Amino acid sequence: MPNSRRRGRARFTIVLLVLTSIVLLTLDGRGSGPLSSVRSAALSVLSPVGDLASTIFSPVRNAWSGAFEQDDLEIENERLQEENDRLKGELTASSVSKEQLQQLLQLVGIPFVGDTPVVHTRVVSGTIGNFGETVELDKGSSSGIEKNMPVITGEGLIGKVVQVSADRSVVALITGGSFNVNFNVVGTPAIGTAQGTGSATILRGGSIDVRQSISPGQIVVTSGLLGSPFPPNLPIGTITALRTDEAARETSVDITMFANTRDLTYADVVLWKPVG
Amino acid sequence: MLGHPALRYLILLITGVVFQRAVCVQFDLDGTTPDVLLVLAIAAGIVGGTERGAIVGFFAGMALDSISVTPFGLGAVAYMGAGALAGWMEGTIVHSARWLTMVVAFVTSALGVTAFAVIGSVLGQSQMLSDHLLQVVLVVSIWSALLVIPATRACRWAETYSDRFRPAMR
Repeated sequence: MPNSRRRGRARFTIVLLVLTSIVLLTLDGRGSGPLSSVRSAALSVLSPVGDLASTIFSPVRNAWSGAFEQDDLEIENERLQEENDRLKGELTASSVSKEQLQQLLQLVGIPFVGDTPVVHTRVVSGTIGNFGETVELDKGSSSGIEKNMPVITGEGLIGKVVQVSADRSVVALITGGSFNVNFNVVGTPAIGTAQGTGSATILRGGSIDVRQSISPGQIVVTSGLLGSPFPPNLPIGTITALRTDEAARETSVDITMFANTRDLTYADVVLWKPVG
Repeated sequence: MLGHPALRYLILLITGVVFQRAVCVQFDLDGTTPDVLLVLAIAAGIVGGTERGAIVGFFAGMALDSISVTPFGLGAVAYMGAGALAGWMEGTIVHSARWLTMVVAFVTSALGVTAFAVIGSVLGQSQMLSDHLLQVVLVVSIWSALLVIPATRACRWAETYSDRFRPAMR
């Protein structure tokens, strides 16, 4: 009898907790202010602890990375070398269109955000938990950073700000797939929508009109269409694969990002907000 | 006062959050890290039974929700399930071997992570059901199996009610 009573109480507790979880999920889905404040407070409180632990554990982290990522670093080094050679070649080729040349120049260090101010930040932490790819930056609202601002590296777009406290901000990476980016294929009127796939460098682009003539190797930038959370012309990557669905009358593409989100040390937050 | 299980579990939860935020991120393996809050939920279930596992799992998941960017409440419901399941499994298996506890942790951890991803995808986070999920399930479950033994010790400490000051207060 006491056993069945205990089981009944456990069942009641579990049902109560499930209902509470559903309420929390609903409030979060509606963008409830208090839940956002809880996250900002947790970010503020835990940041100093994270910094301290990062300093203390840096030898352990280096040993860990060395043990598991040596091969990756060598492959990455080779890839960057090839990419560098390819870009140099493309820069000097006479057939490169004016727009592409402009994009390539931006890739080798010429600012691509124009007069829009940026805040230079350092990446202080990676993703907490195993889902929702994020990085934490060492500057926050006191530096003018606000939610939804685009975040770039010298190579291109990497994500947008999703949480801010006074001196910290959290960036959701574009590779995580939690949001879409409207893009434009340089040199064509083709536009589409890109989303992360969980890979550190590959995005999947879709909704491109099948009548548009696009090909692998073409550069993809943010379209900056009205209402888009990103300004126009932020480089995203190059098209590496192309699939056409004649029935749906649309083309989908694989986009290899210019920036590698697994190897971030610094990032710039573009102090830009969508118009309207 | 300090001897009350609820307070002791609160101390464990705060320690878990700090550990997850500060230490676990250092042990990143291709984007996958250990999940001590999930381990804490499972260990509470193993030590205290289904109800205890559900309650501790709920708060551990909520703590994870407050420090990550996934939907708020997703961790709470997934970890509550993992904690409750660990308690139920521990109750149905008659054993004393340490490796069986590790197996329970491995299995419930795998189910907890999968539930997290499946519910997340239902809530619009479709990227959670990518190829990466298999790697996350495997790595997190191995870490959970390794960490569950010290975690169950910590939970046993939390379960032991010893209010030393009570006689003096009478």
